[in-house]
Amino acid sequence: MSDLQTKKPQWWKSKDVKITAGLWVVFSALIAIIGGEVNARPMGEAASETMANTIHIMKLFTWVSAPVAGLVAAIAVKALMQKMHFGDNPPPEADHQISDSPKATAVWVIVSALLCLFALIFGMVILQKDNNTLLDVHATDIKVTGQQWAWNFDYSDNGNFQSEDLYLPVNKPVHFHVTSLDVVHSFWIVQMGIKVDANPGYLTETAVTPTKIGIYDLRCAELCGLLHAYMQKKVHVVSQQDYNNWVTSHGGTI
Amino acid sequence: MTTVMNHKSPTASHRPIMERLNVVTAVVLGVAGAVISYYLAQKFLPQNTEGSVMKTRHDQVVLIGMIGWFIGFMTGIGALVGPFRWLMGKDLSHDENMYLAGKDAGIARYFRYTTDHKVVGIQYLVITMVIFGLGGILAMLIRTNLGNPEGGWLHPQAYNAVVGIHGIVMIVGTIIMITGPFGNFIMPIMIGARDMAFPRLNALSFWLIVAAIAPILSSFFLGGITTGWSAYNPLASQAPAGMDGYIMFICIFAISTMVAGANITTTVVRMRAKGMTWTRTPIFIYGTVASVALALPAFPVFFLSQIMSGMDRALGTTFYDTRGGGSGWLYENLFWLMGHPEVYVILIPAVAALMEMAPVFTRRPLFSFKIAVMGIAGICGLSILVWAHHMYMTGWAPLLNAPFMLTTELISIPTGMLFLVLVGTVWRGRLWMTVPTASIFALLLNFMIGGITGIYLSDVPADAALHGSMFVTAHFHYTLMGAGLTGAIAALIFWFPKMTGRMIDKQLSWISFWMVQIGFNVAFMGMFMVGLAGQPRRVEAYAELFTRGNQITTGAAFVIMAGMLVLLWAVIYSWRHGQKAPMNPWQSKTLEWSVPNPVPLENFETLPTVTSDPYGYGKAQS
Amino acid sequence: MSTQVNTHHEHPDVVGSRNKLGVVLILVADIAFALSVLFVYFYLKQQDVGGMWLPRATESQAATVPANAMGAWYLTLLAGLGLLVNNYGLRGARTKNPTQINLGLGAGALISIVLFVYQIIQMRQVEFTVTWGAYASCYFLITGLSALHFFITAFIGIGNWNRGRLGLYSSDFWHIDIANVWWIWMVVSSLLGAFALSNP
Repeated sequence: MSDLQTKKPQWWKSKDVKITAGLWVVFSALIAIIGGEVNARPMGEAASETMANTIHIMKLFTWVSAPVAGLVAAIAVKALMQKMHFGDNPPPEADHQISDSPKATAVWVIVSALLCLFALIFGMVILQKDNNTLLDVHATDIKVTGQQWAWNFDYSDNGNFQSEDLYLPVNKPVHFHVTSLDVVHSFWIVQMGIKVDANPGYLTETAVTPTKIGIYDLRCAELCGLLHAYMQKKVHVVSQQDYNNWVTSHGGTI
Repeated sequence: MTTVMNHKSPTASHRPIMERLNVVTAVVLGVAGAVISYYLAQKFLPQNTEGSVMKTRHDQVVLIGMIGWFIGFMTGIGALVGPFRWLMGKDLSHDENMYLAGKDAGIARYFRYTTDHKVVGIQYLVITMVIFGLGGILAMLIRTNLGNPEGGWLHPQAYNAVVGIHGIVMIVGTIIMITGPFGNFIMPIMIGARDMAFPRLNALSFWLIVAAIAPILSSFFLGGITTGWSAYNPLASQAPAGMDGYIMFICIFAISTMVAGANITTTVVRMRAKGMTWTRTPIFIYGTVASVALALPAFPVFFLSQIMSGMDRALGTTFYDTRGGGSGWLYENLFWLMGHPEVYVILIPAVAALMEMAPVFTRRPLFSFKIAVMGIAGICGLSILVWAHHMYMTGWAPLLNAPFMLTTELISIPTGMLFLVLVGTVWRGRLWMTVPTASIFALLLNFMIGGITGIYLSDVPADAALHGSMFVTAHFHYTLMGAGLTGAIAALIFWFPKMTGRMIDKQLSWISFWMVQIGFNVAFMGMFMVGLAGQPRRVEAYAELFTRGNQITTGAAFVIMAGMLVLLWAVIYSWRHGQKAPMNPWQSKTLEWSVPNPVPLENFETLPTVTSDPYGYGKAQS
Repeated sequence: MSTQVNTHHEHPDVVGSRNKLGVVLILVADIAFALSVLFVYFYLKQQDVGGMWLPRATESQAATVPANAMGAWYLTLLAGLGLLVNNYGLRGARTKNPTQINLGLGAGALISIVLFVYQIIQMRQVEFTVTWGAYASCYFLITGLSALHFFITAFIGIGNWNRGRLGLYSSDFWHIDIANVWWIWMVVSSLLGAFALSNP
């Protein structure tokens, strides 16, 4: 480690360092590519910009942390490639006594601080984008009420009718006002990447703009008792026309 | 009491009360206390009034019964002898203290209120293994139920109860798994002390945990803990009387951690050997102290949250009931104020233990001791400022999400320092390949995965997709089990020769290591996948889409179980028939290896003087 | 097991300073607990969920009127007095004056009992019960903790008085010194409680 950093003549020409550097490059690339895919693949196709951003940010975080993870892996693997000693008695003590390397530690701390800062700033930017949807005055307001173990929806912008089904018009921002009648539930539309707890006595909010017509999953993400596992629903994202039809068929107004 | 006691031939008729107390009298008095107080409560407590909203009587009766057990048990084990004698002004004499330390008592001292730190250490080791055994069985029940998407192998209520008890039992097990056995047995010898600062508090901290086990076990028969280990209110106020067992368990356990924390910290601060300056103190000591000192301010908050939960249930207060001005967010805040430091309470000693072993098995000094200390201190300091990242999605204070994102991501800096120390130490060292050595690499892998997935979760938008899903479950298993438990098992194998006087079976421990590590990584990778795909936590049935991931996890979980059973067998077998260990089998330079096996009652004939740090490997040649 | 003789009889000052640190550390836990209680109080007050911090009158129950906080301030004063007499006893121990030890510690024990009893009386006098909303819950939490504190103080006070009476503090008296730390915390914690109850 310290050999990497101290300015001994030509430390970089040492064989150990070269091998480690090679491994580092290989591991970083592998972790970035595989890690990014492993995360993105199961998350499926995004049904909103929020979710698309989330998938993107997770890939990005993977890429950013890949060099760090790659370096740790490279050093670990290099150590394991060294001649090992088995047996009941210890091998002779190491022929060097490096117990510190201020430069290596300084580089390490600064780099990790920078990566951390990057992650933070990037997260904030996305967070800000998500929050902006909340402020959209044209959004459709829907009141969501959780109770053991069902969801109810009040379409307050569409004549205030109630429904047990969630229909959303595509490409139109929706503003959910979420509460609960009994215990804490959590309102989670999986493919849209939004979630907020439903608390008794409080109103919480979240917002999203669905971007794809289709049927998605609404699940409860907070243990809420006996039938928590079954407290789920389908979310129907439909065209504006279909949405209007659906609303009028339920006695609502456009 | 004041007569000089003759330990060589104690005649039963003349033994003072103090010497008659042991685990049997404790259980007898505990059961008697429980039965009597239960009976009295049933008889004299007023009935629920007609039409009252709060049906509190049953909870009152159950809680009073449990308090009766607690008081009876602690009296029966002899915890009150010390305070009582202090009050009377008859302090324990030297002979009595020696009796309490278990002098010449043989095997019986493990079943008494014994103050010798080595006895307490062994007691902790056994109880930790019992707790892990219990939690492990429950884990297998969970995984079996999740083997097919319909669930239904367990009744949903039973499933929830199993999840809750698995959670809390494992959390408690991992909290004590290093500071309990090794913090008590090894730590005082490592710093060159004859015993802990407060030997009687040491015994107290252990027996409190034993006393706490009855309430948690009784919850099985009282409807279980159906709320998950976090016991969120108001769900907890709905839960059956098993919840009272949880409340009682946490309260007693919180007292135990407080007592242990004050004791261990004082011991390290005041009783290090002559010449053991802070820079010469082994890193494991730092880890242990950081862990227990962090628990000191953290656990009382948990304690309070459960007292209020109990008051809501039994007295009809409305701390968490919104109908009476209470707030569920209050509970969540209090819970996570403890909950996040607690994660580091578990993790730090595990990492520190591996740091302690790294120089021994690479035969070179610990890389950058100062950075290791800074990393530990940094984690401790930041950990009390990050609790609300568990609450991003609760909506309690959306404006605070960004600051908590900052503090949470900052924690990756000191955590990175711990990585640096470990990779710096293995770099170009000549590895002596043992299970602890391999555990260092396992920890690097698991902790890296746990850490990076933690970065995703620290980010608010990503957390919106992942919070409350199996992804979170897999993430914290990577940190607590993949990193924490790996370190604890390595510590067990490393210090086994000193604690039992025998070497642990090499072959069996290697088999166990590979089974557990491979099983673990496969199992929780599967769990990550289903979490990313959107499977919520704590569900007893799930959509078809998650079937494959869950079946992978379940299959691999059985491999973990088999590996753990191999380890258990290795421990039991080696403890009884293992090869006798030399005084210093690993040729380590810390003090605990300078005392003979078995370690004498007061550890050192003459107290040692320390002249250098314990990592002076390879220096002779330079 | 070797037949080691006890060659390491430690100096009372060493034992005393060790015990003091231990007590301070346990106090850290207790302080965390007390501060959390304050957090609970002010959080619920600030949230005032459903206007139920101090519920208005209903058909079945009168409006909740906050308890008079003067009682809590009297307790604080009394605890301050307890600290003073314990200090007096401590100085007596330093100057090896047995009468002063007995007087100081005896008065300390007495005051701690009075504190406990007075706190219980206050709890019984309020005109609401524990089920009357968030303020009522918090009131009993704070006063309950305070009563527990005074109970422990009484235990310490009586024990110290008894030990002083038996002459155990003639040479080493770190017990009184530590009791002083505890008394300081009693003053501070009652002060915190009184402060909270003055802001219903």
